[in-house]
Amino acid sequence: MFKNYFLIAYRNVVRHKGFSFLNIAGLALGLTACLLIGLFVYDEQQYDQFVPQGEQIYRVGTQRLQGETTESTPMSPPMFATSLQQELPEVEKAVRIMSLQSKNLFRVGSKSLYEEHGFFADADLFKVLHLPFRYGSAAQALAKPSSIVLSEAMAERFFGPINPVGQQIKLDTSTFQVTGVLRNRDLKFHLNINFLLQLSPAVIGIPEKRMQSWGWRQFNTYAKLRPGADGRNVAAKFQHYLEEKVKPQLAKDNIEYTAFFQPLREVYLHSADFKINWATHGNITYVRALSVIAGFILLIACFNFVNLATAKSMQRAKEVGIRKTIGASQPQLMLQFLAETVLLTLISVVLSTVLTALLLPSLNRFTGKSLSFDLIANPGLLALLLGLTLVVGLVAGFYPALVLSSFKPVKVLKSTVVTDGPLGRVQWLRHGLIVVQFALSVFLIICAIVVFQQVSYLHNKNLGFNKDQIMFFPMRGDSMTKNYEAFKNELSQAPGVASATIGYGFPGDMVAGDQIIVPINGEPKKFSVTQLLVDYDYLKTLGLQLVAGRNFSKELKTDKDQAFILNETAVRDLGFATPEKALGQTLQWNIWNNKNPDSTKTGKVIGVVKDFHYKSLYDKLEPAVLQIFPDAYWKVAVKLKGENLGAGVESVKQVWSKFSPNYPIEYKFMDDNFDEMYQAEDKLKTLLWTFTGIAIFVGCLGLFGLATYAAERRKKEIGIRKVLGASVSDIVALLSKEFLALVLVAAVIAFPAAWLAMSTWLQDFAYRIDLPLWAFGAAGLAAAAVAFLTVGYQAVRAATANPVNHLRAN
Amino acid sequence: MIKIENLEKIYRTEEVQTKALNNVSLAVSEGEFVAIMGPSGCGKSTLLNILGLLDEPDGGRFAFAGTEVAKASERRRAELRKQHIGFVFQSFNLIEELTVFENVELPLIYLGVGAAERQEKVAQVLEKMQIMHRRNHFPQQLSGGQQQRVAVARAVVNSPRLILADEPTGNLDSSNGNEVMELLTELNETGTTIVMVTHSEHDARYAHRVIRLLDGAVVLENLHQPFTA
Repeated sequence: MFKNYFLIAYRNVVRHKGFSFLNIAGLALGLTACLLIGLFVYDEQQYDQFVPQGEQIYRVGTQRLQGETTESTPMSPPMFATSLQQELPEVEKAVRIMSLQSKNLFRVGSKSLYEEHGFFADADLFKVLHLPFRYGSAAQALAKPSSIVLSEAMAERFFGPINPVGQQIKLDTSTFQVTGVLRNRDLKFHLNINFLLQLSPAVIGIPEKRMQSWGWRQFNTYAKLRPGADGRNVAAKFQHYLEEKVKPQLAKDNIEYTAFFQPLREVYLHSADFKINWATHGNITYVRALSVIAGFILLIACFNFVNLATAKSMQRAKEVGIRKTIGASQPQLMLQFLAETVLLTLISVVLSTVLTALLLPSLNRFTGKSLSFDLIANPGLLALLLGLTLVVGLVAGFYPALVLSSFKPVKVLKSTVVTDGPLGRVQWLRHGLIVVQFALSVFLIICAIVVFQQVSYLHNKNLGFNKDQIMFFPMRGDSMTKNYEAFKNELSQAPGVASATIGYGFPGDMVAGDQIIVPINGEPKKFSVTQLLVDYDYLKTLGLQLVAGRNFSKELKTDKDQAFILNETAVRDLGFATPEKALGQTLQWNIWNNKNPDSTKTGKVIGVVKDFHYKSLYDKLEPAVLQIFPDAYWKVAVKLKGENLGAGVESVKQVWSKFSPNYPIEYKFMDDNFDEMYQAEDKLKTLLWTFTGIAIFVGCLGLFGLATYAAERRKKEIGIRKVLGASVSDIVALLSKEFLALVLVAAVIAFPAAWLAMSTWLQDFAYRIDLPLWAFGAAGLAAAAVAFLTVGYQAVRAATANPVNHLRAN
Repeated sequence: MIKIENLEKIYRTEEVQTKALNNVSLAVSEGEFVAIMGPSGCGKSTLLNILGLLDEPDGGRFAFAGTEVAKASERRRAELRKQHIGFVFQSFNLIEELTVFENVELPLIYLGVGAAERQEKVAQVLEKMQIMHRRNHFPQQLSGGQQQRVAVARAVVNSPRLILADEPTGNLDSSNGNEVMELLTELNETGTTIVMVTHSEHDARYAHRVIRLLDGAVVLENLHQPFTA
């Protein structure tokens, strides 16, 4: 029996090539999109799943209320781990890590390379996060201050494919001994660990006392709870402890935060809007959006199936009549039609498997992942595909099978036109499905436009400074840092260089947050601000605009130790009303000085610069204080002249090698750096456009099929109308009107949904476009135009055919 | 074999009621060959559809092989249909996607006959209809006469007790038409009951008895000797 079903199914596929093509192509494309998205989403969800007992592990971060929004960061003070361990019996172990942040020069023999992604970690790290080791063992890996654990990649770079445990490696001037190599090449772990050093004051180079701090939030804390302990209870207990013991102490420094426990399994996907996060992270919003789009596309493809199959039912009606007359029962016929759908689906699945395998390398390049699609190595995937075939086949095939198998043989065998009861309903259903398809398409088009606009805005918004043609790099080596003035002078005079500035706190780079003290009525009041530690040429190099007062001046000796420049936000936040009124106000700052932590710098505001975005547009402008502070002269920004960038870079390199021949220069361009901040959005934009395109295309395949059948069905009517004097445009209008009306209904449904989705998305950005109303109109028009073109082709063909042929045929 | 009494069939549209069959009573015995004649729209096909259990009457009684079926369920009627009734249509109604062999095989499949037995039976009946050499062709590759022979083969492959033929020669030229009528006669002679709707007086003469319908009612029944060519 089934052999017969599949035989018939196969012959039908071959016989109705156009119909089969529309169905198979649509479904194969839709499935491919789904598979690709599915592989990506699955991979994103695998992060940190390998960690044993991961459900007992939490990352303990801090958050505070900023206006109406909660600002969260994984950063925590060193005392978190200490107190969690000591005060809460539910905590089995709490450990800290701290990022080295900058790139560091390592040497083995004559080989020297910069390495980044280094962390300091408590010796017990592996008791909480069991990372797999390739060489060495976790137990003693971070036992000594001289221990270093390497990633597989870094170990290979320095030691080749051998076991390097016991070997020595130099970091700047200190020597470390390799105690282990992590097996982490394709490890889905939220920390991209390249090397690990012991976290101890001696190794970090800080006074012991700083590890007692509650305010210095420079760590990530991981707590492993005892089996059975409830994360929420422990979090509440810890919060209570903080309120009682720590809050009063923090209040003195005007610091306020609460702790929050983030389950390890959520760390990767649920941290996208966290401030200061070294961990690699995905974005649950994008994962969800992509999943929804995948669902949309599959739905559209399934609807095509239902639509085309029911539209074509008239051709199959006679066959149904014959089969029933001969003795087929309705269940048998349903089975037959379902078998056909499942066969078509199977062909589509096979095709989409091939397509997926072909497209996967591109997706991998695009996402930087190494997704694999190996059916042989992964029988689960094969089972999933077969399951998908059955589910899609049955879902898409059920209704057409029901309709077709319910035809009454008496009616379909005699008459040429079937006007059975169900067909009226089928018409409704078909229209309903088209509306849903177009609503989904219009929704996606609007989203794509809005995302495109916002992303362009991010890239092109005037940031308040000129980020073009600025290269920046950290200084390296004693002869450079000690002679920074000479280095800067030579840079400034080098050919192709417009100006150079040295400091800490360049746009797009790390900036320091610290307090500034305003004496109000003799009472010192502390404010959290961004400290931009600069030199005399900062404003000039970055092209900042002064709105009041003046720039730092070398001529005035007091500017070095007694002058501050504010940004406009700082003027407001510190309570100075206007930039003019801010001038001359007194500010105090606790100087960064390890030897004398209590020394204070007191000075006056000499100028106010126009606000500029030194962070990404995700972040609201913060109050910033600019001051001269040579102790933090760690980085250099060089503005190159426009004519010949290459020559400018070359001359900077020459000056560099004069001062620091032992270190290679590692530079970046500031505008590239800003562009990198929006990579996630850029990718979202590309993905959205791609998948919107696919969704629309798949939908059009179905619409094209329907239009073909509509034209076919109405051949005689068109013939009569033409004989009676209808023009081609009348006929085209007649045939297109129906579909355009459906698009209109679809748009009405899609608009509010898209409006809601996009306003929610935009809210994540501190700086965003207004929801562009024209996007709605454009999406509606685009959908209508696509529908018109798709239907119009068939309409014109039907309208220009010789009416006599159709009339005779009937 | 068939006994109907006061059979009624009414077609309704929103505004008009049409009585397609009005108090029709007739009986067909086992082994009979009956022709139903009458002008277009007189209810011939409606009657045939009801006799074939494809359609339900709106009133009256209908006994098929001794059981009352006027109100039988769709499932029951389908069951009786596939066990006992074979159909031959004016437009052949072969399934275009299936070969000659597969078309003929189809009723046996729905009856749940095993593959080996199907092979044998289909081969037998194709031999008998002299189209065995065309077994792997598709319907559109055959002439009208050949197609109707396939249709007859399909109608008789499961040895039904009753064959219903709806203008079986309507789409055929006279020599092909005669061939089909000969086939039906042969079947009748081996005991199969045949009810045939026809416009053709010539074809009607092959029947034992002619029932004439007009406006949904039997107007005349005349017996005559079987036509022998």
